[in-house]
Amino acid sequence: MIVVIGAGPAGLAAAREIAQAGESLIVIDSQPRIGGQYWRHRGEVSGYKSSRSQNYFDEIFTNPLITLITGAYIWSAEKTDTGFILNYLRGGSEHQIFATRIILATGAYDRSLPFPGWSVPGVMTPGAAQALLKGNGVVAGDEVIISGTGPFLLPVATALAEAGAKVSVFEAQSPFRWLKSFPALLLNPGKFIELLYYLRKFFVYRIPLKFSYAVTRYENGSATVSSVSHNLNKSGTHWEVKADVVAVGWGFQPDVTLGGILGCQEKLDRDGTVIFKVDAHQQSSIPHIWIAGEATGIGGADLALIEGEIAGRAAIKKRIGLLRRFTRFRKRLFAKALQRSYPVSDGWQSWLDDETLICRCEEVTQRQICHSVVQLAADSARTSKLFTRAGMGLCQGRICARTVNDLVSVQLGIVVSDDERIAAHNRPIAAPLSLGLLGGLQGDGKKG
Amino acid sequence: MSSQVNFTFDGESFKGEHGQTVAAVFIESGRRAFRKTRFAAEPRSIFCGIGICFDCVVTIDGISNQRACLVEIREGMKVESAP
Repeated sequence: MIVVIGAGPAGLAAAREIAQAGESLIVIDSQPRIGGQYWRHRGEVSGYKSSRSQNYFDEIFTNPLITLITGAYIWSAEKTDTGFILNYLRGGSEHQIFATRIILATGAYDRSLPFPGWSVPGVMTPGAAQALLKGNGVVAGDEVIISGTGPFLLPVATALAEAGAKVSVFEAQSPFRWLKSFPALLLNPGKFIELLYYLRKFFVYRIPLKFSYAVTRYENGSATVSSVSHNLNKSGTHWEVKADVVAVGWGFQPDVTLGGILGCQEKLDRDGTVIFKVDAHQQSSIPHIWIAGEATGIGGADLALIEGEIAGRAAIKKRIGLLRRFTRFRKRLFAKALQRSYPVSDGWQSWLDDETLICRCEEVTQRQICHSVVQLAADSARTSKLFTRAGMGLCQGRICARTVNDLVSVQLGIVVSDDERIAAHNRPIAAPLSLGLLGGLQGDGKKG
Repeated sequence: MSSQVNFTFDGESFKGEHGQTVAAVFIESGRRAFRKTRFAAEPRSIFCGIGICFDCVVTIDGISNQRACLVEIREGMKVESAP
């Protein structure tokens, strides 16, 4: 049985490809609804090309070859001689499925950087604001600041403004960086249209949009907005802006946990993101596992769709074809242009003060991280984590692992190897679960 | 989407629409602090909104560490702030 893990654009594209070829498969997702983070609508939601999802949703819901399992969190996976055992939790109980072939399409989440006040209620990721709105019909706040970097800030801002919030946007990078990526733009003319779609809305809703500024502090309902250089160092001017919600995102980070457990080879992307190595067929280093979408490099829904399609076809040994390869090439070129246009350099580290939280779960401050290196002589990011417990909380370092590596390597002059960076994203168990549940399982993963 | 669901949070009554998450109803009702942290007792709310960060964890019907941003509300559900 083929199992597609993740029902976002990449997973849905793969599933459709496989089912239309007449093979049966299982689609499994941790969220209660399909669509991933990109298509998490409750009903009709406006957004550029948002109706595209309907084709995929129809296929999943109507094709009898597809078995859909939602709200299922895969917490462990094992490779056996004949395939893969996937253990998942659903509604508080333990289940298991067996896969002969796997398509991993586990997506990504907002990358967050620490700043003074980022743990105060009201500070959230743009993804959270979008999830509240698209998934729940709830506007996160009345006066919303959207900040950070990347094109995702645009749809979040326009959606919130459309829903009645007073929105302002502070993009850390300058739009002129795009001039360095002319070929990528020429090969993706659709992106111009998408940009115009959102800019028109900025005009209609009168959303102020300022470039080369970032929120560097939030306190008592007031955000400090500072002008920043391209490497995110503060460059002089700053002022206070009243806001009840500050949504800050610095691009995306793929969730590589499951592939890591299965032993798929990882690498660092140009921008330092941990991603999987795949070949031209989206196949990972492990036979019978194909990986598509953000986990092979952040590139957005368009790239995820074509990668999913290719992975799906590869899994059933169908020809990929030149056109699909070219489409993927052009989307990857655009993804590269995104990295070039919205870089996240280490200047953010100058925004921190001693009491700024670094690890939200274990409440570890910048002072403690420094202390672990200067006083306790931690000589690696890992040792620093062992001293401070940074990255050992419930989220298993999903939010702070990369931050801690960046901090110790830049501020404290410790060398963090690629292997160490990759290891920081690997977790033997993919989700926190109770010892009682674990104790009820026998060695072979079956319930005792 | 219109059917109303009633539940409680630390004894206080809340209501939302079927299909909404616990966190969404809290935010809509103006309730921003979901819990206090273990060490500094600082208030925490929704942060990543998609089940990654575990900042919004609450106890639901006696089961601890449930992510308020993922769990959809059910009639009569008893939500408690994490200790």
